[in-house]
Amino acid sequence: MARIRNVAILGYGGYVPRLRIKATEIARIWGREEDALPVREKSVNELDEDAITMAVEAAKYAMRRAGIDPAEIGAVNVGSESHPYAVKPSGTVVAEALGIPPNFLAADLEFACKAGTESLQMISGLVSAGIIRAGLAIGADTAQGRPGDALEFTAAAGAAALVVGRPGNGEVASIEYARSYVTDTPDFWRRAHERYPSHTFRFTGEPAYFHHTLSAVKGLLEEAGLKVSDVDYFVFHQPNYKFPFAAAKVLQIPKEKVEQGVVTHLIGNTYAASSLMGLVRVLDAARPGQLIVLTSFGSGAGSDSFLIETKEGLPEKRAKAPLLDALIGRAKYVDYATYLRHRDKIRGA
Amino acid sequence: MRNVHVVGVGYTRIGEHWDESLTELMAEASLAAIEDAGVERVDGVYVASTFCEVTNNQAGISALIAEALGLRSVYGVRVEGGESSGMMALMEAYAAVASGLVDFALVVGGEKLSDLLPDEFNSVHSMTLPYDSMGFAGVTPASIAALLYRAYLERYEIPQEFIAQFPVLMHNNAEGISHAQFPFKVKLEDVLGSPEVAPPLRRLECFAPCDGAAAVIFASEDSQTKRSSGQTVRIGGISMKTDYVSPFDREDPLFMTSVALSVDEALLRSGISRGELDVLEVHDSYSIVAPLILESGGFSSRGESCPDLKMSKYALEGELPINTFGGLKARGHPLGATALYQVAEVYLQLTGRAGKRQIDGARAGAAISVSGFGTIAGTAVMLSGEGE
Amino acid sequence: MRFNFRPQSHWRFKRFRYRTEVLRCASCGTVNVTPRPVCRRCRSRNLLREELPERGRLVAFTVVKSPTEEHKELAPYIVGLVEFEDGTRVVTQITDSDPEELRTGMTVERVVRKITHDGDSGIIVYGFKFRPLVS
Repeated sequence: MARIRNVAILGYGGYVPRLRIKATEIARIWGREEDALPVREKSVNELDEDAITMAVEAAKYAMRRAGIDPAEIGAVNVGSESHPYAVKPSGTVVAEALGIPPNFLAADLEFACKAGTESLQMISGLVSAGIIRAGLAIGADTAQGRPGDALEFTAAAGAAALVVGRPGNGEVASIEYARSYVTDTPDFWRRAHERYPSHTFRFTGEPAYFHHTLSAVKGLLEEAGLKVSDVDYFVFHQPNYKFPFAAAKVLQIPKEKVEQGVVTHLIGNTYAASSLMGLVRVLDAARPGQLIVLTSFGSGAGSDSFLIETKEGLPEKRAKAPLLDALIGRAKYVDYATYLRHRDKIRGA
Repeated sequence: MRNVHVVGVGYTRIGEHWDESLTELMAEASLAAIEDAGVERVDGVYVASTFCEVTNNQAGISALIAEALGLRSVYGVRVEGGESSGMMALMEAYAAVASGLVDFALVVGGEKLSDLLPDEFNSVHSMTLPYDSMGFAGVTPASIAALLYRAYLERYEIPQEFIAQFPVLMHNNAEGISHAQFPFKVKLEDVLGSPEVAPPLRRLECFAPCDGAAAVIFASEDSQTKRSSGQTVRIGGISMKTDYVSPFDREDPLFMTSVALSVDEALLRSGISRGELDVLEVHDSYSIVAPLILESGGFSSRGESCPDLKMSKYALEGELPINTFGGLKARGHPLGATALYQVAEVYLQLTGRAGKRQIDGARAGAAISVSGFGTIAGTAVMLSGEGE
Repeated sequence: MRFNFRPQSHWRFKRFRYRTEVLRCASCGTVNVTPRPVCRRCRSRNLLREELPERGRLVAFTVVKSPTEEHKELAPYIVGLVEFEDGTRVVTQITDSDPEELRTGMTVERVVRKITHDGDSGIIVYGFKFRPLVS
């Protein structure tokens, strides 16, 4: 894992459902102090939305930006920890909805919040090897959180997608380096047939999120021969508002290089889409010729880190679909009871 | 072709018949009709039911009805044409009697919907819409009615009160009628204050699920019956037409070509004009559907049916009384049975047996039956014996 | 009712349900929504597959407050009439909106959403709906 050759981001798209619940509304129900909440608010899916439908929305924007014929797509990878079916691939529905003809590779991935960047990693490999001309890398989740659990404040809904292919046709960006760092660390899991995940309290931060994230970023920068000051934007997985800035602080990354890629305070943790969503927001603002380090984290645990360089095609492609802030901006707030209905937490109804 | 006469009718009360099966209801109506007609034999049994497979797990129902009537070795057929199933069965029986294939035909329609939960009923009723382009998506008949309603209000720039007068008229006509589902009056403000089903459409502008069965006996002109000439009514003409299944695929969603063509053809076959009709039955499944039918059928100019209603044209004492026993809204709409109730009620009018609802001197009448919003429409024109 | 959820029939209609793929008559231009051998208007056999445009105009809408069994989990939901540039009209659900946010004449765009699901063990039926254009 190192230098990536001849792989470009041709189009990108992020999708956030329009419903939100304020963290204070969740705190009101469970009697939590309002001054220590991990996010301000989080996104909530509509009753008719799930990881598949949100993957379609994000991928549609990505394909619109790429201006690509669906027949050019040779692989569709959907990373999620909330695939609507336990067995029956999400990628099949996503591809047919997008009009992608049958000769493509479909793979559903699961690695907690890391499955989206895994998709990117794998599609990049297929493109680089010349096996496919282009592919769709998607992270999408309607994340579960047990009622009353700390995770309920952040577990959100959203999707992000990238069309990845060969460079040379007004691409958005190029993917230059990739690096992963994975260990067996039981910080968070969900057993088969369980509705909600379990987690190992404060374990989540130090040996899990920070160790893997920082190891991956350091490895990537070393590999690429870059210093923090050479990079314009750092995008991290964002399970809450604090963690990405805390990680940045350790690496002595100025706050300004991180802020653009943080959306978690507004939409919560979109799990497999989380770091990709940050990348989408950075691409919504970046100029051609800038360097971005994208780093995911997935419990279990591991991180994927990428060095991405924006290209001349970015401004033109950006204009072809709504900016992420437009999707975030159509927020409509729901109360806790409505949220329970939308998350299918009222069983027996 | 031989002339075909209605020689007897029978029907059950419309409502919730918890203690009677669909077969019992249809047999009860059939026996009443056979007794009313005083016929010795029936050669053909024409059964109309829109949803007996779904509501009663029953296919091949014509044989069950025949057996329940003590009939064996007769020709039995079941006809399904959505909400106009009853008219379709009448048309088939008419053709058989006119051609000489059958001398005495029993046409019976029945439906049993009260066993269904409200949402189950909506699922079943939605089958009258094109499922693969509408029903699957949760589009209901009431929602289509609402879209047409909005279009009508906008086009003719009238308030909802104008349309909501139709159910008020229906309830007026049904008051005290023993076979009616809702034999009482309602006020305009009750209609407009009832819960929204699909705005602007309100609960009291919609028919309600119910059970009921009605039957009509057809006999050829040369068949011997105990009926005096004053007690038989000739089918002057009957006609049915299909149309594109979505109203929004038609040139004008507010115009039912199927109604226009079937009314024209049925009148042509009868040799009479619209103006000669003394009584009319229209398919008011939803309040908005009545004006659409009256205008499509040429009884009111486009956009004029509500003013015509206001001027009492369609009232019992008006120029052309409609739905004299309350129509689908108040007498009731047991789907496959409805056209049989319509024809039976016109028969009562033309034979002077309509009691308190009798239109004096009624000699010609018609019934218009529609499925959905004009997907299928049928018209039967009936002429009293004395009018011959 | 349950038998509407058969995987086979959903599979058969997925091109229409996922992408509004219809049959346009090459002879007279009429759009025929569901599969068929000849054009409903001119009976030509020359029917070509085509996707309806992703954007249309909301002509009218209502709210289904008395839903069917298979759609009751979504109720109340909005049903609208959407018209495309060529005059073709479809009746469909309008999602991502409350009735008071809608106005006739507004631009709406096609999305794929869950239509229904067959209990906890059967298939999930996806299909198109429209929503106010996000720009």
